[in-house]
Amino acid sequence: MFEQIFDTALFDSATRAMIPILLAALGGMICERAGVFQIALEGIMLAGAFAAVAGSYLALSSGVGVIFGMAAGMLIALALAYGTVTRRGDSIVLGIALNLLAMGLTGFLLPQLFDVRGVFQHPRIDGLDRIAIPGLSQIPWVGPVLFDNTIPTYLALLLVPALWVFLFRSPIGLRLRGVGERPLAAETLGVSPTVYKYGAVLASGALAGMAGAQLSLGNVVQFAENMSSGRGWVAVVAVMLGRAHPVGVVGACALFALAEALGFRFQGNGLPVQITDALPFVVTLIALVVARKRFARLLDLTTAG
Amino acid sequence: MKNRKMTLGICAMLTLALLASACGGEEEAEADGPSLIYVTPNPIGVNKFLELGQVGTQRVADELGGAWKTFESTNDSDRRANIEAAIDEAPDVVVLTTFTLVELADELSKANPDQKFILIDACPDEPAANLHCGVFREHEGAYLLGIMAGHLSQAKEIGSVVALDIPFLHRWSDSFALGAQSIDPSITDTQVFIGGDNPFSDPARAKEQALAVAARGADHIFAVGAGSNGGIFEAAVQEGFLSYGVDVNQCPEAPGHIVDNNLKLVDVLVEQLAKQVIDGTAGPVVAFGLAEGGTGVVALSSDEELADSQCVIADHPDIVAAVREARDGIVAGDIVVPDPLFG
Repeated sequence: MFEQIFDTALFDSATRAMIPILLAALGGMICERAGVFQIALEGIMLAGAFAAVAGSYLALSSGVGVIFGMAAGMLIALALAYGTVTRRGDSIVLGIALNLLAMGLTGFLLPQLFDVRGVFQHPRIDGLDRIAIPGLSQIPWVGPVLFDNTIPTYLALLLVPALWVFLFRSPIGLRLRGVGERPLAAETLGVSPTVYKYGAVLASGALAGMAGAQLSLGNVVQFAENMSSGRGWVAVVAVMLGRAHPVGVVGACALFALAEALGFRFQGNGLPVQITDALPFVVTLIALVVARKRFARLLDLTTAG
Repeated sequence: MKNRKMTLGICAMLTLALLASACGGEEEAEADGPSLIYVTPNPIGVNKFLELGQVGTQRVADELGGAWKTFESTNDSDRRANIEAAIDEAPDVVVLTTFTLVELADELSKANPDQKFILIDACPDEPAANLHCGVFREHEGAYLLGIMAGHLSQAKEIGSVVALDIPFLHRWSDSFALGAQSIDPSITDTQVFIGGDNPFSDPARAKEQALAVAARGADHIFAVGAGSNGGIFEAAVQEGFLSYGVDVNQCPEAPGHIVDNNLKLVDVLVEQLAKQVIDGTAGPVVAFGLAEGGTGVVALSSDEELADSQCVIADHPDIVAAVREARDGIVAGDIVVPDPLFG
């Protein structure tokens, strides 16, 4: 039974579940560091998923689809940045409004543009290909799971160390954190909080939009109404549980996704759906509470350094 | 201040644009026979289920020399307005479809006791005397699909990916397993449930679960996920297992990978129930199954339709014959398919 559950297909499934959440959560993390509570990830992901399918359908290219998805995400993020940074509005109220807008707008545009309702599936939609990295993809177990994947997947995984370096080892990252933690001090030093906050929110829009593109062109090749199905909210929670630290965020996302994929397998062995549905949340919470002490020390070290 | 005015202006314009696109209807010439108005919960578009409702409505009007109209709704707010507009015209029958309209049907039928309504594929707990419900016995069609899986499964392992773990949806999954086991009792069955935040429209989650069931060795997987079904069919193409669809013929979505579908023949139900209502012979709830031609599978349709269906079952005439025989058995009462909803 052990082999029947823990095989490469399981980790493959977990990776697919993780990537959209991770991309969105990394965006949310940058915003959190810049002092903007990013709660519109769900809507941005949905808009990204829709625009990616639309772009891929129109241009017959998954690359164009991903760019469309990121552009749509940035457009919604721009509204959020304008409202919260320039107009000094409440980011929670605006975020919820934008989530509702994305749901309504994609549901409205689907029949208008493609004359279908509910689900849009068409041979013209070009899905993201899996690109195997020569050599690395030959490694048993790890290779086929991590190194035979879509470009957004590679980007998401590379962004974890890249963002760590950016936030904690680069001058721009330092200023970004300064804007989030001590906006007045940053401004006194000649760092414009407006520029940094706009940059952070737009980056989160691009990342969550790409998350949507991975969902609708990578995980599956179709759009279904409201298909983000709460993944953006899970990303918001992952940012909080991971204390807006790249290692914490990727840990929370990976645990959540693995528990979800395991849940699907256990269901086949008779575990009730009510338990497997709750499993990812319970496991992630417990693991993070247990790991918190160690993790807090790691956090102090990195932020001090 | 100026900015706020502009924002308000844009909001108003957007609202107007949405409203303008929300209304619409199709009209037919007036006639002497009975009049029917069909109100949909959503635009018909390419939704075959809703389209069949219109086909049935039209057929009744044409056969009895009457008139028919369709009011298409686009959102929550204009559903009520459309039904009320239909009531204002006082036709012989107002035809409503799907679970989405069940609360409105209940409320408005009680508020307008002189107007006759039919509601397809759903029913309130205590329908008023002027509301006649037409529901399906979905388990009978699912049992026939199970028979196909029983004949075709090489692995002797089948499964279902179901939106939610509720008794109503077990009509599909349990009956599918029963049908397969009627052919070969050694066949094992795995049922998984999509769950999550959006079970009826989460193809990504459904696909992962279908892959998990396939990884256990199942080679025939029933897709009972409505809007999530596309993900299950993608998994079927990827892993090479065979799948089964619901409500309408979904075979063209993945030709060569879908064996057959558990059909709901909405047109037949609308036609028969509307005629009964016009005659005054309709009961409060009418359940349509294989005997009434209200549910079925593609294998039961005419040979030409079957050949054009793109369904895998069309390549297996011997199994088609077995399925038709089983249908006769169910209609005659020789085979009793238990109903998980009341069992």
